[in-house]
Amino acid sequence: MSDQVTPSANGFFLKADRITKVYSDGTVALKEASLEIRPHEIVGLLGENGAGKTTLTKILSGLLPPTRGRVISPKGDVRFVSPREALDFGIGMVHQHFALVGTFTAAENVALSHDRPFTRLRIAETRRKLEGLMEESGLHVPVDVPVEKLAVGEQQRVEILKVLSRDVDLLILDEPTSVLTPLEVDELFTLLRRLKREGKSIILITHKLKEVGSVTDRVVVLRRGEMVGDVKTAKASTEQLARLMVGQALEQKADAVELSTEEIPRKTVRKAIDRSSEGILHVKNLIAKGNTGEIAVNGVSFDVYGGEIFGIAGVEGNGQTELVESLTGLRVPVSGDATINGTNILGIDPRQIYRLGVAHIPEDRWELGLVLPFTLAENAILGIHRWKEFRGPLSLLRWGKITQHVRRLMDRFDIQATGPNAPAKSLSGGNQQKLIVGRELAKDPAIIVASQPTRGLDIGAAHYIRRTLLEMRDSGRAILLVSADLDEVLAHADRVAIMYEGRFMEVCTPDELDRERVGMLMGGVTAKEAE
Amino acid sequence: MSNNESTPQSRLLRGAQRTLTGLHPALESLLAAVVGLLVGAILMSIYGFDPWETYTGLIKGAFGGSYEIASSLSRATPLILTALTFSICLRAGMFNIGAEGQMYMGGIASVLVAYFVLPSGLHQIAGLIFAAFAGAVWSIVPAILKITRGVSEVISTIMFNWIARWLALYLAIFVVVDPLRPEKTLSIPMSARFPVLVRGTDLSYGLFVAIAFALVIYFLLWHTAIGYEVRAAGLNPSAARYGGIRNKRTMFLSFILGGIAAGLAGAAIVMGLPPTYAIYGGGGLPQLMNLGFDGMAVAMVGRNHPIGILVSALFFGGLNAGGRVMQFYGAKPVPLEMVRVVMGAIVLVMSIPELIRLFPMIKKRGEELIGSMRRLTRRSDRRESP
Repeated sequence: MSDQVTPSANGFFLKADRITKVYSDGTVALKEASLEIRPHEIVGLLGENGAGKTTLTKILSGLLPPTRGRVISPKGDVRFVSPREALDFGIGMVHQHFALVGTFTAAENVALSHDRPFTRLRIAETRRKLEGLMEESGLHVPVDVPVEKLAVGEQQRVEILKVLSRDVDLLILDEPTSVLTPLEVDELFTLLRRLKREGKSIILITHKLKEVGSVTDRVVVLRRGEMVGDVKTAKASTEQLARLMVGQALEQKADAVELSTEEIPRKTVRKAIDRSSEGILHVKNLIAKGNTGEIAVNGVSFDVYGGEIFGIAGVEGNGQTELVESLTGLRVPVSGDATINGTNILGIDPRQIYRLGVAHIPEDRWELGLVLPFTLAENAILGIHRWKEFRGPLSLLRWGKITQHVRRLMDRFDIQATGPNAPAKSLSGGNQQKLIVGRELAKDPAIIVASQPTRGLDIGAAHYIRRTLLEMRDSGRAILLVSADLDEVLAHADRVAIMYEGRFMEVCTPDELDRERVGMLMGGVTAKEAE
Repeated sequence: MSNNESTPQSRLLRGAQRTLTGLHPALESLLAAVVGLLVGAILMSIYGFDPWETYTGLIKGAFGGSYEIASSLSRATPLILTALTFSICLRAGMFNIGAEGQMYMGGIASVLVAYFVLPSGLHQIAGLIFAAFAGAVWSIVPAILKITRGVSEVISTIMFNWIARWLALYLAIFVVVDPLRPEKTLSIPMSARFPVLVRGTDLSYGLFVAIAFALVIYFLLWHTAIGYEVRAAGLNPSAARYGGIRNKRTMFLSFILGGIAAGLAGAAIVMGLPPTYAIYGGGGLPQLMNLGFDGMAVAMVGRNHPIGILVSALFFGGLNAGGRVMQFYGAKPVPLEMVRVVMGAIVLVMSIPELIRLFPMIKKRGEELIGSMRRLTRRSDRRESP
C-alpha cells in the first residue's frame, strides 16, 4: 500500500530457505517454503487452517526446529534452539493465546520475560523502561494493574510491549485481530505502521482478506504447507488472493467426488427435497457466546432436511464450534430457537437431545468423543450405556452384549485394534474416529451432527467416513456437516453455508459458488463489497 | 498445528509417566515396595542399625504367626474403608480428604446403639446404619458446596475434618460419655459388638464388613452403568457430559459412597475393638486419629482400585503391627522414632507411581484453587471500591 520505502534487493533481515517441517505424527506442515523478510515492511501471511502459517513462524521464532531447510540472516545461517535465542537475535512473536501471568502487572510480566535463572528481578527498573517504551511507541497500558483486569486489547498490547522491550527487529503476530474489537484493530494497525516506519519488519498471520489489504505491503500465501504466492499487496486484487488461498478447491471437486463416493454418484436419483416446511433440524436467530464471553454465533438461521447434507464451511474459529455445541446440548445459547422435529433442543442436556435422535461426531475426539483411558468396549457405549441392551437390572452392565456390540462395530467399520479391551488411546487417530462414527451411527439417528469428521485422518479412513455419511444421507437422515476442509464440504454437501464471524455469509448449493467467491466469503468479503 | 514441543520438565515427567504406566500396576507397586524397603534400609545403615535384623523383626511382627497376622488384619480393617473413601472420589475426579472427619462422625454415631436394646445381629446392623448415615451426612455439605458453588473439595473437606474432630471430642466428653468413666464414651453393649474372630486378638468380624464393602464398590464401579458414569466423569468430564452423563450427580454419588465407607470405618473400630468397645475422649480420640489420612496412602499404594486396596491395606496393617515389634529386635534395636522414619520412607516411595500418574489432576486442582482464591480477592476488591 505505501510506497515510501523501497527495500533493496539484498537488504533482507531474515530468510527462510526451502523449509520443510514434518511433525512426529507424520503430518507434513510445510513443504519447501521460502520467505524473505526485509526491514520497513509488513508481510501478510495468508492461508486457511493447516496451511502452515503458524508452523512457519514458529520455526522463525525458534519454537520449532525445521525438519529440512535453513534460516539465513545476512551474517549467515542461524539456528535457534529456543525462543530466547530468537529473541536475542531480534525476533519476537506474539501468540494467539497470550503468555501472561494474570495476577502480575504489566511491569511484572515484562520483567519476567527478561528474567534469567538465578538473577534478581528488576521490577522497578523494568517499570521505568516500560514507561519510556510506552512513550516512544505510543502504546499505552496501565502499568500497575494485574493484567487479568485489562481488556483483551490491552493485554495484547502488553504482549507487544513485552516483545518490543527486547528490542526486536522482527515482530510476528499470530492472528492478532481475532480477539479485538474493530476500534482496537484500527489502533493496532496504526501502531504496526509506525513500527514499520521505524524500520522494523512485521509478519502478520491472518486469514482475513480485508486486513491484508489495509495494512500489509506484501502478501505471502500458503496452502497446505506450500508457498503459492508472494505478491505486492498494491498489485493484488482481493479476488486473486482469495483464489490463491482457497486454491483449486472447486476445480478439484469433480475428482474429490469420484474419490470419496466411488459407486455412490453424487447426483443419485433422489427424491427432490421439499424445503417448504421446517426441516428435521430447524434453527432460528441463534445467538451464542464463546468461552471468553464474546458473541461467537451471531444470529444464525437454517433448516436441515432429511436426505440432505447441510455443510458449514469457513475458517475455524468463526463460531462453528459454538454453533455445534449449542445444538448438541453442550452450550447454553444466549437466545434463539432450535428444534428437532418440533421439539426444543436449546438448553436441555445431551441425554435428552440424544433421545430425539441426534448423533454427534464431535470436533475434538480426544476431549469430547472418547474417554482415552477407557477400553474400546467402554468407549463404544458412551452415551448409550443406559440402553436396555447394555444395562440389566440393578444397573448391572451386560459386558457380554457390550463385547458383541464392539465386535460388530469393529467388523462393520473396520476398526483395527487388538481387541475390545484395548484402551482407546492405543488406537490410531483413524481408528479412534471410526469408533466414534460407528458408535454414533449405531444410535440409528434421525440427524447426524458431524464436526470436522475427517480431520487428521489418512485418506483411507477419511474416505470411509465420508462414504458412510453419504450412505446415511441416502437413507434419509439429515446431516449437518461442519468442516474446515473446504473440499470436503463442497464435494459432499447439498447446500453450503459459509460462516464468518458468527454469521452465515451465504447459503447456497455448491454449484452456485466459484472459488473466488468462496475465498472472499471465507475471508469476510461479501459479494456486494467485492463489486 | 499441534504443539508437539514442550518444556524439558514436562517431557521428563511424561517420560517417567510412560515408563511407569508401561508396567503392570501390581508389578509396579511391588517394585515401589522393594525400593521403599531399600530406602528404609539405607536410612537405618546410615544411623548404624542393622537393617536385616530389623526387617526380620518387622516381618515376624506382622506375619510371623496367627496372632501377628490377626493383628495385621485388624489394623487393616479401618484402612480398607477409609482408603475406599479416597479412591471412590478420586475415580470420580475429586480429591476427598474428608475420610478422617467422616470416620469420627461414624464412630460417634455408632456409640448411639448403647442407648437402646435390640437382639444381636440387628443391633450390629443398626450400628452400621447409624455410622454410614453419619459419614454420608458429613460428606453432603462439601459435596453440595462443590456442585453448586464450585468450592474446592480439598479445602472444604479439610475444614470439615476439623469441625468433625472437635465436635466428636465434645460429644465424647460431654454427651455420650460413660458416667462412671468420664475418660471414655459409653461402651457398645454386648449385643452390638462384632465378635472376635481369632481368640486373644483384636481381630473382629468388622474385617468382613470392610472386605464386603470393597467388593461392593468394585462391582459398582466396574460392572454397573452408574459406576461406569462415575469413572467416565472422573477420567474426562467433558466426554462424560457429551455422553449424556450428569457429572454433578456422579460427584454427589461418589461423595455419599465415600462418606458411607468412612462412617463404616468408624463403626468397625468402635464396635469391633476390644477391650472397651468405646471411644476415648481423653488424649484426643487416640483410637481413631489419623486412620482417615492413612487411608489415603493405602489408596495410593493400592492404585485406587478396591482389590488393590485390600492388598495394600494388609501391607499397611502389617507395617503398623510389625512396626511395634521392630524396636525389640537385633543387637542394637532401632528406637521407635527410627521405625516411624523408615515406615514413612516406605510409604512415600510407594506412593510415588500413583502420585505421578495423578500429577495432571493434582496440577489442575491446584490451578482451580488459585483461581478461586483470585475470584475471592477480586470480589473483595469490588466490594471495597464503590
